[in-house]
Amino acid sequence: MSTEPSNLQGQPAPPKGSSRAQSWGGEIGAVALFALSLIFIFGGLKLGLGSFFRLGTGAFPFISGSILAVLAIFVGLHEWRSKGLSHPPDWISFLAIVAAIAIFASTADRLGLVPAVFMSVIIASFPDRSLSLMGKAILGAIVSAACWVLFIRLLNLPFKAFVGM
Amino acid sequence: MDILSSFYSGLLVVLEPHNLMYCFIGVFVGTFIGVLPGIGSMAAIAMILPLTFYLEPTSALVMIAGVYYGAEYGGSIASILMNIPGTPAASITAIEGYPMAKKGRAGVALFSTATASFGGGMIGMIVMAALSPSLAKLALSFGPADYFAVILLGLIAASAVSNGGALKGITMVVAGLMLGTIGIDLTTGDLRYTMGIPELRDGVHIVIVAMGLFGVSEVIASIRTNKGGSIAQKIDYNHFYPTREEWKSLFAPIMRGGAIGSVFGALPGTGQTIAAAIAYAVEKRVNRAKNLFGTGVVPGVAVPEAANNSATQTAFIPTLTLGVPGSPPMAIVIGALMIYGITPGPRLLTEEPDLFWGLVASFLVGNVMLIILNIPLIGIWVRLLQIPYKYMYPTIIVLICIGVYSLNNNVFDIWLTLIIGAVGYWMKLYKFEPAPLLLGFVLGPLMEEQLRRAMLLSRGDPMVFLERPISATLIAITVAVLIYAFYAAIRAKKITASTSSEVQQEGPNT
Amino acid sequence: MIRNYLKSIGASAMALSLLWAPSAMAEPGAWSDEPVRIVVTFPPGGASDLVARLLAQYLDTEFGQKAVVDNRPGAAGTVAADYVAQQDPDGTTLILANNAPYTIAPTRFKSIPYDPVNGATHVAYIGASAPGLFVQPSAGIKSLEDYITHVKDTPMTYGSSGVGSISHILGEAVDASLGVESIHVPYKGSSPAIQDFRAGVLESFYDLAVQNSDMIEDKEAVAIAIASSVRNPELPDVPTFKEQGYDIVVENWVGLSGPAGIDPATVSKINETVLAVFANPEVQDRLTELGITHRAMDSQGYTDFVANQIEVWAPLIIATGIAE
Repeated sequence: MSTEPSNLQGQPAPPKGSSRAQSWGGEIGAVALFALSLIFIFGGLKLGLGSFFRLGTGAFPFISGSILAVLAIFVGLHEWRSKGLSHPPDWISFLAIVAAIAIFASTADRLGLVPAVFMSVIIASFPDRSLSLMGKAILGAIVSAACWVLFIRLLNLPFKAFVGM
Repeated sequence: MDILSSFYSGLLVVLEPHNLMYCFIGVFVGTFIGVLPGIGSMAAIAMILPLTFYLEPTSALVMIAGVYYGAEYGGSIASILMNIPGTPAASITAIEGYPMAKKGRAGVALFSTATASFGGGMIGMIVMAALSPSLAKLALSFGPADYFAVILLGLIAASAVSNGGALKGITMVVAGLMLGTIGIDLTTGDLRYTMGIPELRDGVHIVIVAMGLFGVSEVIASIRTNKGGSIAQKIDYNHFYPTREEWKSLFAPIMRGGAIGSVFGALPGTGQTIAAAIAYAVEKRVNRAKNLFGTGVVPGVAVPEAANNSATQTAFIPTLTLGVPGSPPMAIVIGALMIYGITPGPRLLTEEPDLFWGLVASFLVGNVMLIILNIPLIGIWVRLLQIPYKYMYPTIIVLICIGVYSLNNNVFDIWLTLIIGAVGYWMKLYKFEPAPLLLGFVLGPLMEEQLRRAMLLSRGDPMVFLERPISATLIAITVAVLIYAFYAAIRAKKITASTSSEVQQEGPNT
Repeated sequence: MIRNYLKSIGASAMALSLLWAPSAMAEPGAWSDEPVRIVVTFPPGGASDLVARLLAQYLDTEFGQKAVVDNRPGAAGTVAADYVAQQDPDGTTLILANNAPYTIAPTRFKSIPYDPVNGATHVAYIGASAPGLFVQPSAGIKSLEDYITHVKDTPMTYGSSGVGSISHILGEAVDASLGVESIHVPYKGSSPAIQDFRAGVLESFYDLAVQNSDMIEDKEAVAIAIASSVRNPELPDVPTFKEQGYDIVVENWVGLSGPAGIDPATVSKINETVLAVFANPEVQDRLTELGITHRAMDSQGYTDFVANQIEVWAPLIIATGIAE
């Protein structure tokens, strides 16, 4: 038997800004899943169902799409009846991470690994206000140097540290 | 006994100092590479492969095997500490492991996984030593219809791998099945749902889905809530050891997980994922602490780990005796052997006994090394959590980017991770579980492949699924499980108000 | 039309310049201070990957040319071929390519982002391996004639290593040539197909012949015919399709190419060095084990070979119905 007390004790106190609110997220999720299932059902029909002997390209997406459609309806009903509580989304963190990954993706090939890591770290650390810009730059420099040593020098991955140098 | 003497001679081979050294290097390198997000056993083996060209076959295989299970174990470290699993099996470990880390018990979680990994590995090794020929025969008696049935059972188990209840679980599994169809159709070569994007021809890589749904969304959700260091990890060594009660609670799950893992591991292609899912689902039913599953309990973290590691060992059976690689890393193992002119196949056991028994014995030595190496390292891993999160999370993000980029050396994969990560964050907010989706995503294409193949081979007769004894048995079990789950759900609804379970689930996500 | 014409002029001009290049007698040796990347169109572990790693290893140990293997699988080899086409033609990025990106893709796909003949410098041909047809011993089929009579009455299932793979293309070519219709069952690679064959659920399969010599010896499979132009010395008892009156030659070849415009001196240096590696008896042994028959070809010969292969394969690929 585990000696865990209860899962709710021993947790850090809920941080500020996470006041829980009623939301329609669960229902929206069910609707999104239902829409997804329709895409696969109709896509499956278009790709062709084939025969029992030669199941077509669309058969499996069609079958799983149909099952998902039914399940999504049940999930929607369930969510509607038992209103879930949830955290409000943290848009600033969300956007910072999205931007950090995007900058990495758009610079890794063009500028090289080291600049990509450097910029990505600085952008990712945007939501944090306890670090100065200088601190963020130092963090970026340390992480990019470490990545260079680890991935290019030690692991010998086929990345270029800097492009055009 | 013949097996014992063979094993003994194998042990002598491995205990030669140079082999011992290669085994250690393998385990060591594997663990450290495996910890890096997105870089799993596959990449680790590929990296070390050129080095093995200079070794004799047994040393090479011992080292590769060390890297393989080292990396698998390293992967579970990352999923426990930071919720960034690189494989479906590790995502199941994360279900219990990550909440434990959040409660300041990362040390215990890592200690339990190390122990479970060792226990599972030993069970796998014993099974491999004693039953290789029969398990190879078992794998040979599996036709496409039987594989289909086993995957079906695995998917039902996968729906239990969530905290959100069976309905949402199975829904996410099916959603995963559908996403798995993206890409070129194996049977006809037609493109499906690729939206004209050439990079989607080969489908979406599992690591991209895992890194997006788990890694990226976890980081976004944690920036404001996780200060790092604020979770007091108990870092003195006494606190790494599970309590006496926990020790006792570890034994049975390891045995069950190891046994389930060793059987499924011998089935090429599906082994490890299904093993971990079924082992967890079974444990969730039979364990005395079953009501606490999902909140971070020791048996829950041990069981998928034992199953995974035991399956990792027995996965060598079809690889070596049938020449059928069960997973991409195993394909590299076959490739490495072929470089030495050794063709894996039914003859390997008789023609290369030193190699086979050396490998089996290396599992013993390697697992001992893994545990010797990792118990002291637990302190270091746990201290990672003491680093303020503001330094950690930008690093995690770039590591994820690099890991994903290294899959195909294509930045498109990073963009895809970004999109999946955004969806994953949304799923996290509204408690749509990513683990069942990941399992469905991995097993879906295999399921479709076997289904269509079974129908082709039976020339369109669906009765094949009920005529073959293996598939008929498995389908009967699946139906029974489904009926029971339905019955239990209806009964539970009548007895308890549904809200109480909602409150229970808040824990791990706080 | 005009563009093709211009292209062919370009090709002949290049051919002339190659013929006259004074460096045709280059000595084998390192050609770059930088490590050379050998791009492979498959994930690690396959025969192509093995050849690339073997090459990289011997380039380093024999000639001091550092080389790393860079696996860029995807979209039937076109991802790797496109990537290489865009790199600097300085001899530091090469691709270990095969039929897939250079002779199958041009016919199979509506459009490919590179030109398989003029958009690349074809540096050195390495070798080829031939697939064969295998049936269950229990079927009592001993020869191609038996096979034909058997499949005329009852269509047989055959396993291939995937849609559009060499074994699939061969299967379709055999069907067309014999005038029969078999049931194609695609697998992901040949080993799962062989597993189902061993399990008895699959009636026949096509796969690279030499890799299955153990099964032939153990009487687990009967090799009906091999799709090479002459018999393979490793399998002297397996007849070719050709000698039995069916002109079916389908070979899986591999060679080394780079981006278009590598300077001719470097090209012949690389060619000589690669040929020297493959002349090494140890390397030859490994190739033989993989069932690959090595043949020396210069850069021009290889370029012509690739161009010719596109023509040879086009009708076969169209026959499979996989062409977009």
